[in-house]
Amino acid sequence: MSTINKDQIINESNCSETKLLDETEQEEEEEEDLQKLLVPDVQNLPLTPPSAVESNFATFFALDFMKPAHDQYVYRHANGYNIHCFEDEGGITAVDFNVGKSDRSEMKVTGKRKKNAQHFESNTALCKISTQNDTYIVRCCVKGSLLEVNQQLIKQPELLNVSADREGYIAIIMPKPADWLKIKASLVSLQEYKKLREVS
Amino acid sequence: MKAKFGSQPWFQENLHTGCISTKDALKFSLIYPLENLLECKSSMGSFRIRLTYTHTKASKGDEKCSDSAETCKRRKIGMSKFITVPMCYEGERPFSNSLENNSSDCCEFLLEKANEPCHFTFFCYRTPFYFGGRYLKYSRNVSQTCWIIDDERMGEASVEEIIGGNILQACQGDSFKFHAAGREDIDVRMLGPGRPFLVEVQNARHIPSELFVKDVEKSINNMKNKLVRVKNLKLVGSEGWDLMREGEAEKQKQYAALVWISRPLKDEDFQCISSHKDLKVLQRTPIRVLHRRSPLEREKIIHWMKVEAIAGSSQYFLLHLCTQAGTYIKEFVHGDLGRTHPSIGSILGCRAEILQLDVTDIKMECFLA
Repeated sequence: MSTINKDQIINESNCSETKLLDETEQEEEEEEDLQKLLVPDVQNLPLTPPSAVESNFATFFALDFMKPAHDQYVYRHANGYNIHCFEDEGGITAVDFNVGKSDRSEMKVTGKRKKNAQHFESNTALCKISTQNDTYIVRCCVKGSLLEVNQQLIKQPELLNVSADREGYIAIIMPKPADWLKIKASLVSLQEYKKLREVS
Repeated sequence: MKAKFGSQPWFQENLHTGCISTKDALKFSLIYPLENLLECKSSMGSFRIRLTYTHTKASKGDEKCSDSAETCKRRKIGMSKFITVPMCYEGERPFSNSLENNSSDCCEFLLEKANEPCHFTFFCYRTPFYFGGRYLKYSRNVSQTCWIIDDERMGEASVEEIIGGNILQACQGDSFKFHAAGREDIDVRMLGPGRPFLVEVQNARHIPSELFVKDVEKSINNMKNKLVRVKNLKLVGSEGWDLMREGEAEKQKQYAALVWISRPLKDEDFQCISSHKDLKVLQRTPIRVLHRRSPLEREKIIHWMKVEAIAGSSQYFLLHLCTQAGTYIKEFVHGDLGRTHPSIGSILGCRAEILQLDVTDIKMECFLA
């Protein structure tokens, strides 16, 4: 009787061992499969991929708006939000969002419906920019409601010199669809902009 | 009532409350004749018969209804009273024991002599069945739920329709609802153990057995285009909901991202990235979702990160990371114009872009077997 029991016990422990082995084997297989899925084919990777901005936004330029030789451009997302950016020759020392009537950096927009967003016309002042020699006003070239201004510019105005097209953006504005269509006609695409700037 | 039902235990239970609602009285008097007529027992079961009695003069009585805690929440139901009777056939797997309890009026109101008979209708239905499991998504062109903008479908299919549609067809139900524990973007694959989901089927005509459920799982996984895969599909009771909702905010998710940086990877970068444990990240609402979310600043935690080099490339690498639920991974990599801080770019001191994202684990207990 005892020998039979021992065999049974040995068999059972063998079974559970093989079961464990099977499970770990299966786990390892799954890990390998996952790894194969994750690792990309290096041949197909572009040397320099498009940036997140390039892939998700369309760029529009406002030429000679209100003041010649200061380029303003807008990244427009499919969801209707516009990022306003500004290029200068460089040498910007300070950015002030307090443009007389109200400090743009103070306003708070809340909720999904974006309550308390200020409505801007295309010539409403966004901010004051100071360089070493000069101070001028940047205006919002598209009619819409202001969602936020880039508060980082207050503490780090050099962002406008170094990465005006990314971290140095000025503000986020949401125009109404009808207003956007109207102003879009007077804005210029990247290709046309390049052509014009090369000539002049 | 007492005379007829005094011997029944459930009657004695209710008797101590002093009064019995008209609804219950009607129900008790109907159950036995119905049982005999339909040749089955009224007890647990998923099949329900709803009897609706409407009477034009009924509203008057209810106005005198006294306000007690559970009753009279819907005063307007004066027009019709309905009782629901659960029925089950012999041999059917009993499901939930709950009787539908529409607001019963425990009140005394003056009995008026009715001159017309009431209008009576009945309606049969089945309580919903729940299927739980985990799904994997292999395609970067399949949304989680049916996504249509301006009459045009985004992506080629949806997880919801593939899984729910298959289950609905197999059960011969009227409609289904798809619920998942979180979601991923259309261009993000769901790999690893998969994401927990629940499919609710209304009015199933065909009651699924265990074998049947396995067959449904197989048929979804053997579909030609291999877009979606289902694991551990099984019938669950109402605890499925609780399992899914459990610890929602603490859920950790694991990802693998294909990242490009604007300079070659250095040896120090590996250590630098791995050294950040439980990194706090401040994320302003990403621009790409600003149209449907509040503009807020949310603090999220990146529990750990690991850089895996890719053979043959010095500027591309695989970033494995484990984050708190609700973290926007894409924005953590490219920084979203500085609105997510810190970001991979800011940590490594260069520009970073994300090319691909995959979810590799959802750390939840439910539907793992």
